[in-house]
Amino acid sequence: MSAIEEAVAELARLPGIGRKTAARLTYFLLKQPRAVIERLAKALLNLAEQVKACSVCGNWSDTDPCLICADTRRDRSMLCVVEDAADIAAIEKTGEYRGLYHVLGGHLSPLDGVGPEQLRLDSLVARVANGSVVREVILATDPSMEGEVTATYVRGLLERYGVRISRIALGLPVGGDLEYADSVTIARALAARREMTG
Amino acid sequence: MRLTGLAVRGFRNLAGLELEIPAEGVVVVGGNGQGKTNLLEAIYYLMLFRSLRGAKDRELVQFGEPGFWVRGTAADETSRNIQVGVRYELSTARKVVFLDGAEVRKLGDAVGQILAVPFGPADSEIVSGTPGIRRRFLDVVLSVSRPGYLVRLLEFRHALRQRNAALRRGRAQEARVFDRPLAEAAAFVAGSRRAWVEEWRERFGELCAAMGEPAAADLRYASQVEDSGSAEAWWERFEHSAERDLRSGTTTVGPHRDDLKIGLGGRDIRFYGSAGQRRTAAIALRVLEAETLTRYRGTAPVGLYDDVFAELDEDRQGRLLELLRVSLPGQAIVVAPRDAEVPAKLFDRPRWQIRGGQIVR
Repeated sequence: MSAIEEAVAELARLPGIGRKTAARLTYFLLKQPRAVIERLAKALLNLAEQVKACSVCGNWSDTDPCLICADTRRDRSMLCVVEDAADIAAIEKTGEYRGLYHVLGGHLSPLDGVGPEQLRLDSLVARVANGSVVREVILATDPSMEGEVTATYVRGLLERYGVRISRIALGLPVGGDLEYADSVTIARALAARREMTG
Repeated sequence: MRLTGLAVRGFRNLAGLELEIPAEGVVVVGGNGQGKTNLLEAIYYLMLFRSLRGAKDRELVQFGEPGFWVRGTAADETSRNIQVGVRYELSTARKVVFLDGAEVRKLGDAVGQILAVPFGPADSEIVSGTPGIRRRFLDVVLSVSRPGYLVRLLEFRHALRQRNAALRRGRAQEARVFDRPLAEAAAFVAGSRRAWVEEWRERFGELCAAMGEPAAADLRYASQVEDSGSAEAWWERFEHSAERDLRSGTTTVGPHRDDLKIGLGGRDIRFYGSAGQRRTAAIALRVLEAETLTRYRGTAPVGLYDDVFAELDEDRQGRLLELLRVSLPGQAIVVAPRDAEVPAKLFDRPRWQIRGGQIVR
């Protein structure tokens, strides 16, 4: 296999990248100065060498514990449970949440052989169990069937510890047109309607 | 609704066809194996993107071809034109559906854009076959007439597969968390089916009588949950059967175990009906399908008749044609093996011959 073919084959393994895009990226890189390619290669190697899962929350991080877990200004009484580390980045971007996180590493899916023991549930229970400072757990798993079911399962595990358990709200996207929303979303939003006060 | 054009390539023995369909419909005559049924199947494929006879997509591809495509244009009463196309590639098993030339993201969005009701010799199976065939009949009717049904049906099947996978591994807790989404989808699916049966059972009796059946005909939706539209009721039922399900390694109750019971003179037609009675009931079900689509979609579907008149005597033939004239006033596409088997009343329709997958005029 030539060097070009090898690069195309490796790039095409990435999610969302087909062979055509992989070839385009490869030919783009060929035209770049050596330094650009070296920086890219180094950045990729650093991922493997420096980034590890935080031993507390499971977030990807250069440090252990991660910067969020180590941040003493964050609210330690709140725990937000997400499926993947990428979800943390999405929530952090809002700047609205000041608590801590817990990454499950997926959702329950018996069809794919993913059961409770494949998820980071023991460490979640340990963080919430007796004597913990956690007062509220927000279940922010995906609004898919598996995400809902995982939230139900986690609630079952945590109920006995007397923490407040909430589920992230599901509904219409902000700035969207009601008429363009799909019917399942509208039905959910209607079911989860709230009284207008004040 | 009427089909105005049809183009087919590589679909069973239809190597390449490009047809304009007359507004009043057409009678296609051809011997066995010439492609009559394939022609109807190609049209039907544009409604569900699934084979009428339950064949797999790869089995529909003409031998030696890389895949097939089917494209149809249709106009409704307001002369609004739609074009539905579908392309299937054998090597990737990928199916792409187009609506007015644009690729649709979700196949479900294009299901039922073209409306057709098939009549054929295999229909007796709906009456005499397994409950699964009758559930499929209900599911097809509701998928193209009731908004949201197809989505909820797919949700139900997905939740069921997940729950069963957990049960197979003996995981009670994991199976149990799927009870809620399963119950919600089950309530919609079974509730819709029961409501349909309640709405049309009387009409079913009328239709059977109109076709000369003296015994009273009736429909009933048989389910282990009487209150089929209630998610709470299904949820309790799933809870209740949890232990048994765990032992069997599968979900033993649910809409996937329900049945459409067809009664004649108070007895189950499956066991007590004659071949003629079963044929009458099957035709009545197809007419109900057509009337449902007309009522809920606001346009009469295209009738696809696969050699349905041959088996009937002249009296029944006459009654059926009269019934169809009223109940299925849309375009009719009729196929028959011989000129002699085309009812006289259809003699004024344009007539084509089909030979080796080609139309000869």
